[in-house]
Formats: sequence, C-alpha cells, structure tokens
Amino acid sequence: MPREVDPSLNEKQFVTQALEENLRLDGREFDQYRPLELTFGEQYGVADVTLGKTRILAKATAEVTVPYADRPLDGIFTIATELSPMTSPSFEVNRPTETEVLLSRLLEKTVRRSGALDTESLCLVAGQKCWSVRVDVHALSHDGNLTDAACLAVVAALRHFRKPDTSMDAGVLTVYTPAEREPVPLSWLHSPFCVTWSFFGEEGETAVLDATWLEEQVRVGSCTVSLNRHGEICQIAKLGGTPVNAVVLLQCTGVALAKVKEFDELVDRRLTEDLKRRDKGGFMAELRAENDR
Amino acid sequence: MPLDTSTYNLALLRVDGRRWNELRRVHAQIRTQAAADGSSYLEMGHTKVMCVVTGPTEPGPRRGGAAAGGAGGGGVGSGGAGGKAEIVVGIVIAGFSSVDRKRYGRGDKRTLELASTVSNALAASLHTNLFPHSQINISLHVLSQDGSLLAALINAATLACVDAGIPMTDYVAACTAGSTSTYAANDEGADPLLDLNHQEEQELPGLTVATLGNSDRVAVLVCESRVQISRLEGMLAVGVDGCKQMREILDRVVREKGVRMIQEGTVEKGVGLGDIDMD
Repeated sequence: MPREVDPSLNEKQFVTQALEENLRLDGREFDQYRPLELTFGEQYGVADVTLGKTRILAKATAEVTVPYADRPLDGIFTIATELSPMTSPSFEVNRPTETEVLLSRLLEKTVRRSGALDTESLCLVAGQKCWSVRVDVHALSHDGNLTDAACLAVVAALRHFRKPDTSMDAGVLTVYTPAEREPVPLSWLHSPFCVTWSFFGEEGETAVLDATWLEEQVRVGSCTVSLNRHGEICQIAKLGGTPVNAVVLLQCTGVALAKVKEFDELVDRRLTEDLKRRDKGGFMAELRAENDR
Repeated sequence: MPLDTSTYNLALLRVDGRRWNELRRVHAQIRTQAAADGSSYLEMGHTKVMCVVTGPTEPGPRRGGAAAGGAGGGGVGSGGAGGKAEIVVGIVIAGFSSVDRKRYGRGDKRTLELASTVSNALAASLHTNLFPHSQINISLHVLSQDGSLLAALINAATLACVDAGIPMTDYVAACTAGSTSTYAANDEGADPLLDLNHQEEQELPGLTVATLGNSDRVAVLVCESRVQISRLEGMLAVGVDGCKQMREILDRVVREKGVRMIQEGTVEKGVGLGDIDMD
C-alpha cells in the first residue's frame, strides 16, 4: 500500500510559522474559501464542484427496486463515495482508506440521517416497488477539503436531479420516459452543507476554514460542522485531534452558519440559471406534471 | 417504542428516574487482565466495555488493510516511518450487546469511525513521541450497549492506557449530553440533559464530548442528530461539566487501585510517592 508522503520538516515549519503570523500560503483570510464553482452537466443530476484545485463530481441516478423488508414504506437512498488512485496514489480501488470511510460516514450523517431527502416519497407500491436513489461521489482531484466540496456536490446533484414520472392505474405502475412526460424533481426538505475547520498551533488556537492539502497534512485537528440555512445543526464531527477550547468551537459553528447561507445561495442561483438554460422555448411550466406545494 | 417525554415536564425526572444533571452509575476497574500490559473494565449504566492495551511494542508486519485486532481498526501516526508511536484501535461489538441480536461485520463503517475517533482522541493525550517506531494496540470489546457508547469506549481506553503506564498529559474523559426538545421545537424551556441512555439517544438530540482532564478543552465532539444551533451552547456546557465529573471518577478508580496495590505489596511504594494521601 503506497503511503502518502508527509511534507518535509521545512514545509511544515513554513506553513505553521506563517499561520502564527496570520498568513496563509495562498494569501487568503482565515475564514475565506477558495474560489468555489458549481456547474451542472447536460444530464439531470450531475454536479461538478471545483474548490480551488479540489474537484468533485457527483451523479445522482434512480431505478425502481424492491424496498427493504423492514421498511416497506420507504424508498432507498444511498451515497457511494469513491476515492480512486487518480486522486492520490495512497488511495486504492476496492480498499477503503480511513479518509474514505470517514468521508462517507460524514456525508451519510449530513445528508441521509438528517432527512434532507424525503425517502417516503420514493415509495411507489408499499412493500413491492420503490425508487432507489443513489449518488456516486467521485473525487477527481484532491487538494484538501474533500468533505465540504463533496457535500456541496451531493446536495447540488440531488436538487438538480429529476426522476422519471410515474403513475399508478388499476394496479399497473407506469414509468414514463422523458419524451412522454417531463421528469419530476425529488421531494427535498432542507439543504445541509458541511463546513470544515482546521486547527493549528499548540492548543489549536488558530482556526482556519477550507484547508488545502498541505495545510491538512500539517493541522493538529479538525472539526466538521453540518448545518442548513435555518440554523439547524445536522452533524458535528470533531473526531479527536488536539483539544480545542469549547468557546472556540462555539464560535466556529456561528461562522459556519454564515458560510452555509452563502453555499445555499450559490446552489439556488446556479439551479435557477440552469433551469433558464434548459427552458428554451418557455414550455417548462406547461410540461411540468407536478403540483406546486 | 417512542420515548414518552411528556412526563418530564411534570416531575423533571427522566425515564430512568435521574435528574437532568445526573450521571448514571459508573463502575470501573483497572488491571482486570493479569497478562495484558494494561486493561480496564467500565460500566456506564448498562453500557459495558472491556479494554486491553498491548504495547508500546515493535510494530508487526504491515497491516494490509485488514486490521489485525478485530472488527474495527483505526490508526494514527505513521508507525515505523515517523517519530511517533502508532495507536491502533480495534473495536469488537458483541452480537449480544444490544436488544436485537446483530452481527457487526469487519467493514462496518460506524465501528471503523468509532475506532478512528478513539485512536485520534488518545493520540492528543498520549506522549507518542516518546516511542518512535512502535505501536500501541488498544483492543476494545463492547459487552452491552445502552447509549453513550463512544464515551464509554474513550473512558475505558484512557483507563487502560493509564494502567499500561504509557505517559500521558491527562485523562481523556468523555460523556454525552442532550436536550429535552426535538429539533423542530424552538422552545426556550428545553433543559439540557447529561449522560443519555439508549432510549433518550434514539429520541432526543445529543452529543458526545471528551475533554482533556479538568480543562475546557474539547478533544472529541460528535453530534449525530439534528438540533437547533442555539441549543448547542447549553448542551456543550453540560457535557464539559459531565466530563469533569467523569475525570474525578476515573481518577478515583486509578488512585484506589494504586493504594490497594501498595497495601498488597504488589508494588513497592516508590520514592517521591510519600506525599500521596493514603487514606
């Protein structure tokens, strides 16, 4: 198993000393993200997030399957993460590293367990047929802060996604192709986003947002907070690392809320832009089969 | 079965009869396994955990993905290469530990996450830089689960590391805290709760906190449920306070065992230990 090469002592010292002098290598403020870009693909449910040099692609798909026996009224919703060797030589195919396990758990807790997607709406025939929605997360390039980028990509992909329209008629389930009926969006309840803080210094007193890969290798601890714009915490994960004062952590969640609101606006803006682009003849409103809630 | 929280407001008593700021009964022992370098047994209410520490030892052949020590493996430090000892944590959750019998496979992500958390939390306190090119194996066995599992695992691992005599800054003591209201309800009257049991953990928002010794410095903060941001401060404050109580309990266990060992003559009373209160 090839190991990730640690940065040299000189590099480590350079980064930490610069941070002590309130400087980051790329000249950002401590609470500033790298340029964040979100684009959608030609297909529904493909989101491409670029955060500096980090790039994540998420693709949502849906198919009709049999629901789990113990949850006959719920659809199936899975998030699959894959960190391939093209991201970093230390990742191997079919052998999840600790990074990947923690990333997938985090996305699971943030998006799935917080009930962002209404799984009951994915049920077609109780106990027999349901939608299985799956999001595949691919890290295309890794320059730190995979978590925040991946979470944004998953949320954007799911909000952009349209599943085929269906109807039930006399016990016969019909799934319509996009040509027959315009696909319908998922029943989306709230949009949670991750914000990761990295801590530096002897007592973790320097808190930095959106660490690059080099900063991630040097940091003494990190804390990922997931929130939605309503100020509900969906998950907090500070899994060990140098102990940080409780007050600092509280301040971090406060700043995270502001960032989450920015993310939410970005996703909303890009979604409306994409919708306009697709709505060429202006027929989208008539084609829509769903009702306004 | 949903937890009936409606009665809480009447008598301010929780389902198991505790008040909001009470810990469950904590029973802990150290040096439970004679052959191990360090071992402990910890009960927090009905959550029961055993821990065995081996090491610091020479690292074995490189683990190829599959953790040698059981279901969950998590390691920090860079083993042979770096100047620090690697802490390898293996967690085995017994099939009979919860109400419904369940098999926990080797690749269970939740177990792996727990293992990695315990390993990273201890790495912050243990002086791993004193043991370069070596490995500390922590093997945790969950015998019974009734909420606050992560907290119990961290506490048990801390005790076992103390028993193994690995130099550390201070105890890493952990406990859980919760809130009496659901995430949607924005009522101001919601009380924070200390040390959640399984039933409360299922129904109410809660978090696990681990602090370093008597300080306010938080090593682990895990929240897995939806909760209003305004509620966090109260929960965190109660959690940190609970950790301080937990530290006292752990410290007492260690001291009592030390006194007993000296009385039994297992160990010589060391020089410089004269000022320890031996009542």
